[in-house]
Amino acid sequence: MKTFIKVTEIWIPDKERTQLELGSGLYGGLQDFKAASEQQQFAYNEGLPGKAWAAGHPIVLTKFEHSYFKRTAAAKKAGLTCGIAIPVFSGDFLMAVVVFLCGDDDEHAGAIEVWCNNPVFASTLNVMDGYYGTRQHFEAISRQLNMPKGQGLAGLAWATGMPILIDDISKAATFIRASDAQQAGISMGIGIPVSDTLRQTYIMTFLSAKATPIAKRIQIWIPDPQGKQLICQQGYSKNSNDLAKIFETITVDKGVGAIGRVWLTGMPVISGNHDPSGYNPELDNLSSMLALPVIAKGRLKAIVSFLF
Amino acid sequence: MNMLNVLLIESDPDNTLLENSLNGYGFKCLKTQYSPMFLALIKEITPDIIIFNLDTPSKKLLTDLQTIHQQSALPVLMFASDGNVDTINQAIKANVSAYIVDGLEHKRINSLINVAIARFKYQQSLNNALEEACAKLEDRKQIDRAKAILIKTQNFTEDEAYHTLRKLAMDRNITLGEMAKNVIAMSELFK
Repeated sequence: MKTFIKVTEIWIPDKERTQLELGSGLYGGLQDFKAASEQQQFAYNEGLPGKAWAAGHPIVLTKFEHSYFKRTAAAKKAGLTCGIAIPVFSGDFLMAVVVFLCGDDDEHAGAIEVWCNNPVFASTLNVMDGYYGTRQHFEAISRQLNMPKGQGLAGLAWATGMPILIDDISKAATFIRASDAQQAGISMGIGIPVSDTLRQTYIMTFLSAKATPIAKRIQIWIPDPQGKQLICQQGYSKNSNDLAKIFETITVDKGVGAIGRVWLTGMPVISGNHDPSGYNPELDNLSSMLALPVIAKGRLKAIVSFLF
Repeated sequence: MNMLNVLLIESDPDNTLLENSLNGYGFKCLKTQYSPMFLALIKEITPDIIIFNLDTPSKKLLTDLQTIHQQSALPVLMFASDGNVDTINQAIKANVSAYIVDGLEHKRINSLINVAIARFKYQQSLNNALEEACAKLEDRKQIDRAKAILIKTQNFTEDEAYHTLRKLAMDRNITLGEMAKNVIAMSELFK
């Protein structure tokens, strides 16, 4: 199963908090790109992670050549053409920057969007930044949209402050662009609130086709009503995965295990097998995971885990 | 008529005794001296057996023989004049099938080659059986570990854990050992 996301990285501030250095990463078989990344550091406003740090919101970079992207040659060699950087803040304090890198082959059907609220029409969202690959018609439709709060994938994520995962998106009544998505081959989407300050809201949406899902499996973990444990609210993968379902019945205590550590620290975590020999994109087995916290007003609302 | 491809490594290129014997028995023989290209040569000509005629095997040669054994094992027959026990032990450790000290006689060559090949085949069957047993033992360990994970996380009994594991493996059409590895990998994600 080839996934839309090819590389996942967590960049963390160094001790002096002047540079971002690689915390951990999932590179699959792209070991040369991994080696190039391990050598790299980014100052504030430098490279894709540094730009996201400075901007304070997610950034989508759709072309690496002649851009501020620092690893262009290695990315080109690895077939990576697009990058998304999501800064994770606790108040004004940067915890980490999560970077996703995607390829751009013919089999790729999907889109990654950053929505933000319109300063004039305060209760609508617009696409601020997006990567649509070859889906130009879908891009044109999406960029024209004013998404009201509470409607569509991004609007629902904004209204609830929670990640929203919609399977079979082309038939979902809540998804405004359903028929356009169907034409573009898009079948599934997840909207994640990444930043919500008094004035500005940012929502990430990941839309993907069945052939190239965003990740092998996506889970949404939320605190139980008592706020004592995390439970898995939703798990999704292209094919049914009974093994994953078994592990989604467990409850997670704060600080215990990878998901529990994300809850305790508010830091994104990569766990599992980093060894390329243990990773086979064609298989359904899940060997690595990125767990991304969704934080609002200093409280953890949910954790979205991308399993590869 | 023997149609085996023999790679003959002679320390003395002017010595034609062994080469003539091999040709006489009908082997297809290629004679050369040991060189840094030895491993590349083996890869290129893929002989059925390697025969050495030398005083004593060098450390480099023994290392090369171990490499050959790991990559693509071959019967190795070694005629040498060094009868030192240490040298013999090192040669055997380097997977030499038969080490003959001062025993190069035309009439014995064919049977010595047969002994080397038979010993090699027997050793290979033992190695395969050992590998299979190790793999089974490793599978057993992985299955026990996976069962323990399911018992701990799902409050299963040992029977329930085993049946769950077996059902997951059957649904995916993979072995129990492979499924156990998947369960362990999955639990590692949440560690």
